[in-house]
Amino acid sequence: MRTEHGNVAPVLLAKGDGPGELRADVPYQMAMILSRVYPHVPEGRIAVVARRCDEKAIAELSKRDIVDRDRIALIGLACTKEQVAECRCRDPCPETVDLGECSDPVVEDPVVEKVRSMPPEARLAFWTDQFRKCNKCYGCTVNCPVCFCDDCLLEDKTFTVEKGIPPGMAFHVIRSMHLADKCVECGECERSCPVDIPLLALRKMANDDMKELFGYTAGDADRKSPLLTTLEGDPIKEGDVDAC
Amino acid sequence: MPADFVLTTCPYCGTGCNFFLQVVDGRVVGVVPCKTDETSGGSLCIKGYNAHAFVGHPDRLTEPMVRRGEQLAKASWDEALDRIVAEVKRISSEHGPDSVMVLASAKCTNEENYLFQKLARVAIGTNNVDHCARLCHASTVSGLLQSFGSGAMTNTIPEFENADCVLVTGSNTLEAHPLIGARILKAKEKCAKVIVVDPRETPLSRIATLSLCQTPGTDVAWVNGMINVIVSEELHDEEFVNGRTSGFDKLKEVVKKYTPDVVEETTGIPADDLVRAARMYAEADGAMIAYAMGITQHSNGTNLVRTLANLAMVTGNVGRECTGVNPLRGQCNVQGACDAGALPNLYPGYQSVEDADIKSKFEKAWGGELSGAKGMTLTCAFNKALTGEVKAMIVFGENPMLSDPDIGHVEAAIQKLDFLAVVDIFPTETAKLADVVLPAACYAEKDGTFTATDRAIRVVRRAVDPPGEARADWQIACELARRLGCQGFDFKSPAEVLAEIGAVAPLYGGIDRDRVDSEVVRWPCPSKNHAGTRVLHEGSFKMGRGAFAVVDHTPPAEEPSDDFPFVLTTGRNLFHFHTGTMTRRSAKLQRESPEPYVEINAEDAERLGIADGASVRVTSRRGAITVVARVTRWIDKGTIFIPFHYAEGAANRLTNNALDPIAQIPEFKVCAASLEHA
Repeated sequence: MRTEHGNVAPVLLAKGDGPGELRADVPYQMAMILSRVYPHVPEGRIAVVARRCDEKAIAELSKRDIVDRDRIALIGLACTKEQVAECRCRDPCPETVDLGECSDPVVEDPVVEKVRSMPPEARLAFWTDQFRKCNKCYGCTVNCPVCFCDDCLLEDKTFTVEKGIPPGMAFHVIRSMHLADKCVECGECERSCPVDIPLLALRKMANDDMKELFGYTAGDADRKSPLLTTLEGDPIKEGDVDAC
Repeated sequence: MPADFVLTTCPYCGTGCNFFLQVVDGRVVGVVPCKTDETSGGSLCIKGYNAHAFVGHPDRLTEPMVRRGEQLAKASWDEALDRIVAEVKRISSEHGPDSVMVLASAKCTNEENYLFQKLARVAIGTNNVDHCARLCHASTVSGLLQSFGSGAMTNTIPEFENADCVLVTGSNTLEAHPLIGARILKAKEKCAKVIVVDPRETPLSRIATLSLCQTPGTDVAWVNGMINVIVSEELHDEEFVNGRTSGFDKLKEVVKKYTPDVVEETTGIPADDLVRAARMYAEADGAMIAYAMGITQHSNGTNLVRTLANLAMVTGNVGRECTGVNPLRGQCNVQGACDAGALPNLYPGYQSVEDADIKSKFEKAWGGELSGAKGMTLTCAFNKALTGEVKAMIVFGENPMLSDPDIGHVEAAIQKLDFLAVVDIFPTETAKLADVVLPAACYAEKDGTFTATDRAIRVVRRAVDPPGEARADWQIACELARRLGCQGFDFKSPAEVLAEIGAVAPLYGGIDRDRVDSEVVRWPCPSKNHAGTRVLHEGSFKMGRGAFAVVDHTPPAEEPSDDFPFVLTTGRNLFHFHTGTMTRRSAKLQRESPEPYVEINAEDAERLGIADGASVRVTSRRGAITVVARVTRWIDKGTIFIPFHYAEGAANRLTNNALDPIAQIPEFKVCAASLEHA
């Protein structure tokens, strides 16, 4: 990032470019910026200033062959204590720290705790209330570093059946499931949301389920998502499935 | 580099969000929000995220065209410009300069609008210059000017988030100004009271603390009713009223008869709800009023704006942070086009053309003789074209064939013209009728500034080249003026034009391109060391004391009848912008809202046997259109709503050209209509 016109802008520098006033204090999701730039840089290596969440998002993109990991060099950026608190981040430290100092993770998420403590009816009411505010900007998909489909099916009429706004609960819930094996909890969806829907809390809860059910955490560079692997177990025998 | 991120200002509503256009190999490929932008806070709406989509569209105009017989045919710039100049000279010498009308554009920059009005006033010699502010907030400019002495939004967008109470009326804020609507929701989450008064349920009204539904055209009655409750319960701010206003006794007298019961009878708003709303608004420490077209687009629009100013002054909600009367302006630069003097009665910076001293100041500055008679409004110009008094029009970036009321009338007026030139980025419905069409650069292809609804000057930066032979409007205006033999148009950049605006308009005295490059400055900003102004009327009103207006309810120009039993009201939706020339060429936006429709109450629909999705014919005294029915409970019985974005089902075929006598704004919001199966 660099100061430009009194604001902080993402910037792509070529060899020999003057860096200008570079800064790392504003949470642009560099993995998202990378995935926008990557298709237009056909060769050579790209270095990215990456926080832990960027690093994990790039791992997810690389596993899906959307980026070639060998062409990407990571410059590890540790978030400040304030940023970690703001993101309610439970995994703030990049593998290699090149910039900044690591801070302690935030273990408990007050929004998650609050929702978990509710009985199912209250939980439904809570989310219904939140989703009602949705103004269909699609910022949560546009800015998501691991949302990579060329054409988002969720934005199609099928899943946003209500005319106009809000888009209906299916949009948010299906999206949450769709991200379950790749959301790196960067929180960009929540930060981008003009009406403050606590989307990060929703993602964390889905991720917790992934971990409990499959022992898997998104962003793991070495393991494939269990949802992308073949189901194991004995072959299905006649009579196991009710034909009716 | 293969990818640049160019910071610029959104070309849609007047909120003024900044974002980055991602540019790859000379093409804009996407939009990235700007995290540090004060206005958008790193969020955008769906239109903003898709603001790149129309820029490289194959329909863009890329070469000048002139009419040869029935056809518009490719021409050189020289031929096209010379044709305009020859026609303007001929018509002006035969019928006088006031037979020529220039339409400026709320889509163009401050610099361009300044040049358009200078072109009209100096090069052609007429004050006949106006733009579509006439169709949206003309009544705000006249109403607030009379009440406060300044016709603009009194407070700023970020303040909405910290208000204790927000009264929203005639504004579908979450759809038409999404990022302002979002701030109002944030205020609500911080326990602010949000009151929405609208004849339709809107996304915001469904979440509001209190939602009131009035019969269209009865707004004076409910506002007076609120003041009645406030005064009778002694909730008014006596100190403010005594110290800073005049005319309270007369106001007190007139609102006496607007008791909650009487108001219920007139407006349909339950008396108890009105009382609750009045208390909520009056008891808040800081209460903001936000309004838009639902207030202004009436044949009593100026008076309506003044009643809202009354309400704010009675409770002392002006001149402090998180208060005020806040018109939400609907186009990226409709505020700036007004500021820059694209109005028939005002020079740049709201200085009267009828004031001899001001006129001579401008004559000196511009080096030419000026007309001392105020010019024609846009609405008036089409009437005068029909009677033959207006013979030629130069239209910069406007599409009256879709945006103006009673299109049949507009079409007849245009056909009566001797000459029509249109400068635009797409072949609009209006361009198709022109004698000369010039291809213009869009917002992504030029430099300049827009002024947002909260008076913030926002920078527009060139990200890519214009397509084909297209040129920026500021270059076109300068070239036309030069060819008309006029001095004072040798600008090398928009920055030089902005410097001239600062020199002639004290509001912009401290504004220059370098300063606004990295600083958000809001006018009035009279000098370089002035910080700009966030809250207007602090301490005292621009005109000294605020003036209460005595306003009575009058019915709209056209009321439902046996033949036309519905009240038709028009407006925008979230996905499209105005006449759709840009948004309907943006795939994602078009997918969200592909076709024209009419919203009708479920009970009315059942009575008429109309199912959701049925094709229906809507008729008014002026025309008929066929659209799809959207059966909904979001709209009151007896009222129907049609968005005006769609050429193939143009709501403005139906609307009424009844004008507010002061602002000459048409009554888009109320006309009588009938509806039947197509």
